[in-house]
Amino acid sequence: MQIIEIFIEGLKALQEYLSAHVLTCLIPAFFIAGAIAVFVSKKSVLKYFGANTKKYISYPVAALSGTILAVCSCTILPLFTSIHKRGAGIGPATAFLFSGPAINILAIVLTAQVLGYDIGLARAVSAVLMAVVIGLLMAFIFRKEEAKKHKDDDKMFAGQTDEEGNKRPIWIALLFFISLVLILVIGAASSSYIPWVPKLAIVYVLTLIVSVILIFYYTRDEVKNWGKETWGLTKKIVPILLIGVFIVGIIGGIAAYFIPGADPTNAIGVAVAPYIGGNDIFSCLLASIIGAILYMPTLLEVAIVGNLFGYSTGLMGGGPALALLLAGPSLSLPSMVVITKVMGWKKAAVYFVLVIIIAALVGFVYGMIAG
Amino acid sequence: MKIEILGTGCPKCKATEKIVKKAVEELGIKADIVKVEDLQEIVNRGVMMTPAIVVDGEVKIVGHVPSTDEIKKLLK
Repeated sequence: MQIIEIFIEGLKALQEYLSAHVLTCLIPAFFIAGAIAVFVSKKSVLKYFGANTKKYISYPVAALSGTILAVCSCTILPLFTSIHKRGAGIGPATAFLFSGPAINILAIVLTAQVLGYDIGLARAVSAVLMAVVIGLLMAFIFRKEEAKKHKDDDKMFAGQTDEEGNKRPIWIALLFFISLVLILVIGAASSSYIPWVPKLAIVYVLTLIVSVILIFYYTRDEVKNWGKETWGLTKKIVPILLIGVFIVGIIGGIAAYFIPGADPTNAIGVAVAPYIGGNDIFSCLLASIIGAILYMPTLLEVAIVGNLFGYSTGLMGGGPALALLLAGPSLSLPSMVVITKVMGWKKAAVYFVLVIIIAALVGFVYGMIAG
Repeated sequence: MKIEILGTGCPKCKATEKIVKKAVEELGIKADIVKVEDLQEIVNRGVMMTPAIVVDGEVKIVGHVPSTDEIKKLLK
């Protein structure tokens, strides 16, 4: 009997993530992520990581390029090592290392849709700013070692990828991406802002625009690659997300039997609320440490914060929730081991401490503002 | 002919290896296929985006999983 009830809790959690409002935003987001991977020129970004690029250019580019370059977590490390050893140096390299996993369009969209627009926006903005701050601090702390390094390889960064220069006019590419983003935003907008009929009509027209652009300006191979990349991403992320959400529901169901006065939807939240529930600095720090240690598959951090720790049921404050979302994707115990190997233990330790402390501080400030 | 596949062991790199092996087999040519997984070694080749394919010391493909046809064209 109990086993069936626990199983049902898992299904209930799953149902929440398979509901229409989540799917309408996730499906376009996967298409956009696929389009970014295939159509956005990586060459144009990489050239800003050379040793002679001005710092005020390389830092923001590093902090933002996570969205464009870091489609696969395994490409982050070679890029990081190259930027660190032969390019712009430890500062922009660390900014990139942090921002790569932290700002991907899928994670931001899911956060906004499931946990709320305020925390989704806060997550996107503070991840970018944090990347720059962490990079600058790393560059400052290790400035002596950096000064000794000889830097030469601007050429390496200029001619990196083998992609062909695309012949499309820039406004077509822009129109293409703007249409995709509009489909996402309008499709996901609550029907209290836009009624169903005009919404469907607008999405229909936008889809037509995208199709026309694809037919006239993109080759068949490009469209095929886009489809392949989108499907590849979906296949990689969605099954793990759904299994994870199911397990989160089941953990809640089991915990409900051990925690007095709790029901399955908030059991863990009730249990941990005294430690990471409030908006005080201690809760934020603890949440940030949990996020840094715990391995969370892409997107599952949203379910962990929302369902498991109880942000959605109001048991966890906005502060610790944001702290966990910021420290979470960039760090985990396995990734710490790899980063230590690549950076050396001294730099790695400083990096980990910086991420944990700054994530906690940003969460704390957000908690004070948003409550 | 020596074909090196550069990658840290992620799914995309493994996919690349499979495709290269298939292409070599279909062409019926003799080639040594070597996997390079060491990060320093990859970076020393001047490669930042994996998977990458190096043919006889020359970097040919960087940053994406190639199709079988692409490899065949490379090897001819």
